[in-house]
Amino acid sequence: MRLMKSCLKSVCALGALQSSVEYALEAVRKGTCAVGVRGKDVVVLGVEKKSVLQLQDPRTVRKVAMLDDHVCLAFAGLTADGRVLIDKARIECQSHRLTVEDPVTVEYITRHIAGIQQRYTQSGGVRPFGISTLIVGFDPHDTKPHLYMTEPSGIYSAWKANAIGRSSKTVREFLEKNHKDDLSREESIKLAVKSLLEVVQTGAKNIEISVMESYGKITNLDLAQIEAIVAEIEREKEAEAERKRSRLAATAAGQASMTSRTTEGGSGSSSEINVLLVLRFESFEIVYKEQKLLRSYR
Amino acid sequence: MNSLTNRFSTTGPLSELKRAQALVENEEFSDSAWGSEAGFGSLAKGVPNFTVPSVPDPSAFLRLHTDDHADPNCRIKIQHGTTTLAFRFQGGVIVAVDSRATAGSYVASGTVKKVIEINPYLLGTMAGGAADCQYWETYLGIHCRLHELRNHERISVSAASKYLSNLVYSYKGMGLSMGTMICGWDKTGPAVFYVDSDGTRLKGDLFSVGSGSTFAYGVLDQGYRWDLTDEEAQELGRRSIYCCRTPRCLLWLTLEDGWKFIGNYDISKLHYDGPGETPGAGYGYDVRIERSTAAPVAVQA
Amino acid sequence: METSFAITGKGYVLVASDTTAARSIVKMKTDEDKIKVISPHLLMAYSGEPGDTIQFAEYVERNLRLFHIRNNYALRPSAAASWIRRSLAQSLRSRKPYSVNLMLGGFDVTTDTPHLYWVDYLGTMTEVPFGAHGYGAYFGLSLLDRYHNPEATLEEGIETLKRCINEVSKRLVVSPEKYKVKVVDKDGTREIEL
Repeated sequence: MRLMKSCLKSVCALGALQSSVEYALEAVRKGTCAVGVRGKDVVVLGVEKKSVLQLQDPRTVRKVAMLDDHVCLAFAGLTADGRVLIDKARIECQSHRLTVEDPVTVEYITRHIAGIQQRYTQSGGVRPFGISTLIVGFDPHDTKPHLYMTEPSGIYSAWKANAIGRSSKTVREFLEKNHKDDLSREESIKLAVKSLLEVVQTGAKNIEISVMESYGKITNLDLAQIEAIVAEIEREKEAEAERKRSRLAATAAGQASMTSRTTEGGSGSSSEINVLLVLRFESFEIVYKEQKLLRSYR
Repeated sequence: MNSLTNRFSTTGPLSELKRAQALVENEEFSDSAWGSEAGFGSLAKGVPNFTVPSVPDPSAFLRLHTDDHADPNCRIKIQHGTTTLAFRFQGGVIVAVDSRATAGSYVASGTVKKVIEINPYLLGTMAGGAADCQYWETYLGIHCRLHELRNHERISVSAASKYLSNLVYSYKGMGLSMGTMICGWDKTGPAVFYVDSDGTRLKGDLFSVGSGSTFAYGVLDQGYRWDLTDEEAQELGRRSIYCCRTPRCLLWLTLEDGWKFIGNYDISKLHYDGPGETPGAGYGYDVRIERSTAAPVAVQA
Repeated sequence: METSFAITGKGYVLVASDTTAARSIVKMKTDEDKIKVISPHLLMAYSGEPGDTIQFAEYVERNLRLFHIRNNYALRPSAAASWIRRSLAQSLRSRKPYSVNLMLGGFDVTTDTPHLYWVDYLGTMTEVPFGAHGYGAYFGLSLLDRYHNPEATLEEGIETLKRCINEVSKRLVVSPEKYKVKVVDKDGTREIEL
């Protein structure tokens, strides 16, 4: 009887655990998107910045945190939980240096963070951290970049490129399609921005990019640089669309000639497509604006 | 009133929260349970605790029972008359020690090893309290292995020595007595660290510890160069220990893929014949003088 | 014997410390760096009980670094010195106090002024134009009282420092042979070859 009771209790506890971690994961899914891309000798973190309110100071909202000279962390989920976890990680980084003189390895600090997250799923009276994290950096005496992800349950894993937060599935699929091994610095940054643009409609001003090139060398791209990259991506997309359009036009023309119609008909159909595209784009804009309005009411 | 009940009740939500927090913060879920403390979370609960004699000054108490100059009948005899040395050169690290464990006025063992093989990559020498060195360096070995398992890489010599230094520092003033050199090879190349029970930890090229260290330094400093060949380095190690007048000399060489034991030399044989089998090629002063008078060209050390 | 000097000048602080690590009569090492750069514009020379010195210095170093990472700015010299003094004073009242003497040279970038603090193992702290610890202090302080100039250029400051070092070499029985000298000014910290 007692055995049964305790079994029942543990099953209940397991259920509670699952649900509380589920809640935490839900918080992560609602959080802003963060992307990590590992290149040949560079690693890039990109995050979606929430649009700040008119009177808010944008500098106080930061989603990429430096843990030590050579490790950076980006998170998605509850910002307040992130702040606490980051502080714990920073203390551990310095404490590690104090005990063994060497700086932490990226895997070590990841394991530590995942360890804390796991701990908060294993006891009563506390709730799990509602955040997933991307941890990037270089190990001391090493030139290989590292990218790790941790989840609220305490799982951690290494990646070539990954995304967390809102629409992370879409972004991950995009990365799976477009990631190649041994990306250069520029390519890595571009891939990060491009993948973020999958979910960030407002473009450069809501994107934050941090690039780590070697041990302790971190640069945050400023708005102008990101804008330039976004513009370049837009141009490429435009060119791609143009090519598609002309291909479409060509096939349409081919069809037209096949059915032995006049050439005016062909060009007419192409402009129709153009109009359609514009219309679709406009309707999309409207939907987006509505969403934004809704969000501001909330 | 309400706050008072809250504070002292054992069933309310607040106390439950408190208990949970206590559990999270320090109980069995403490940092060491999942590998914090720079990966040195202990097997059970942190650094082992010893019962220290319940006297105001443990080290004075220990001295009273170990000083055989003041009291020849003292209960604990501390090892005296040690020479250990280690130096770094282009081919690795040479570790040489004498082999004579004296406990007070009698020789306890002629073959005791004053080098502790912490693991296949790390050596620790032993001077001062033999028990202290043996215990703490073995303990260090346990943690080096744990570090390897947790981090999938060998521990650096710097980290291992730092860990030992922190350990003995936490027992500072309680009578621990050890002077050791932690030697090995890691990502940064060959490395030697001197660690003692004061909590001093020094990185360097050559060190010698023990009562014979001054004699060893005399030979070592004069013959030392970074670009010694392996053979020259071994010879320097042997000669430096020889000059401390001990029965035997033990020699190790640390290489990139771990240390290897070079040999156990009889000092009286070194005195007359040197390490090889040539009679008359010994290290001894009279042997050397005889040789140089026989052949006018002085044989270089 | 352990000796350290520090002097202020026009827009800089010079900190010098000997480089020997001794155990009984043996010099174990003669190139030990006993001046830590504990934040971008702060130097700390430490001496005292072996073991305590390095443990305390690293403790300070890591805590100031943690402050810097958490807040994105480093403590100003006066604030850092106060915190360090307080840590030392707290440890003095514990079961196992650190017995460490310190010399803190910093440059306050907000006011563009150099600061030098003299701290001893009892937790005494005072801001001074020049200071010294160890046996060298017995010779150096009177010399600096006579020759120190708070408006000296870096070259003149180095000359004054050389006077101290030469005096100690001349009169002290077991004088250290080598010194490490670091300077902190508006550009941060750097080492100087004498």
